[in-house]
Amino acid sequence: MTLLTILLLACITFGTRYLFLEGRLPVRLGSNVKLFLSYSGPAVLTAITLPILFVHQHQLDTSLANPYLWGALAAIVAAYKTGNIYWTVGLGMLAFIAVGAQTF
Amino acid sequence: MMIENKRIRFPIVKGVMDMLPLSLAVLPWGILFGSIAVQRGFSWLEAQMFSAIVFGGAVQIVTVELMADNASLLTVLFTAFVISSRHFLYGLSLRDKLSPKPLRWRLGLGFLLTDELFALSGHRRSYQGKLRLIYAAAAGGSFYLAWNIWTFIGIVAGASLPDLTDLGLDFAIAATFIALVVPEIKTLPTLAAVITAAISSLIFSLWEFELGLVFAALLAMAAGFTVQQLRRPT
Repeated sequence: MTLLTILLLACITFGTRYLFLEGRLPVRLGSNVKLFLSYSGPAVLTAITLPILFVHQHQLDTSLANPYLWGALAAIVAAYKTGNIYWTVGLGMLAFIAVGAQTF
Repeated sequence: MMIENKRIRFPIVKGVMDMLPLSLAVLPWGILFGSIAVQRGFSWLEAQMFSAIVFGGAVQIVTVELMADNASLLTVLFTAFVISSRHFLYGLSLRDKLSPKPLRWRLGLGFLLTDELFALSGHRRSYQGKLRLIYAAAAGGSFYLAWNIWTFIGIVAGASLPDLTDLGLDFAIAATFIALVVPEIKTLPTLAAVITAAISSLIFSLWEFELGLVFAALLAMAAGFTVQQLRRPT
């Protein structure tokens, strides 16, 4: 029973991922839909990121002692200046750890 | 032959390296999953199978708890479907690029299409040409391997390890996504989308709304689309 459930769960995760990659699926994306979808990358990534930064233990954390805030600011500046993924993650982590070490 | 090898090695290394912060960032969650699964009475094989074939972070952690609590099959499957529904958005967004590809690429990359791989799919020419496909396979495949190794560690040693989810490794996810989004904010519609996503995701998250991510993304896309339409010269 457990194995069957795991198999069904696998069908769900794979099915939701694969469905629209199938060319034979009779779905044609019009130009408006394509324009709408062109914002999906920044939209999804921002919607995942902000709660990581500011929602901790189900509470909004906008205090200046929040290391995620300073790490994010450093990462934004680094991303803007360098456009490089490694510099951005590196400098962001550095600021995050530096502020975290102060507050813990 | 040498040249061919070098040409292929570069996208493989780049794919693995670009994914590395995300692969490392999910370590606490992989360990947490393996550890919960074993503690809640699943066998080692079952726990590992979750990560090997279901391959979804939140889905696994939530469904394993539901199954251990003897929730009905329908509840388990429906919950998994709700959490997985954001994948439809990824598939739709990549449909034009991936649907003409050969079946083995579609199946393979479709299986690997997590939030993390979608995050690395934003390039205008992503998935175009063999080398970009190899890049995506290396990025997605390395993440798959990492997730399964973390799960295995959780299964074997979870009970003796402290909870690592408070360690702040999730900041690496945030930093990587910032690195991917900030350079994309070049136009007013994109800025509108990002601001809308930021505000609505925080509100939905505080409401603990299960579909918050999907709805925040849809609102943000609508904002970007609307601003674009308003600016279009008539």
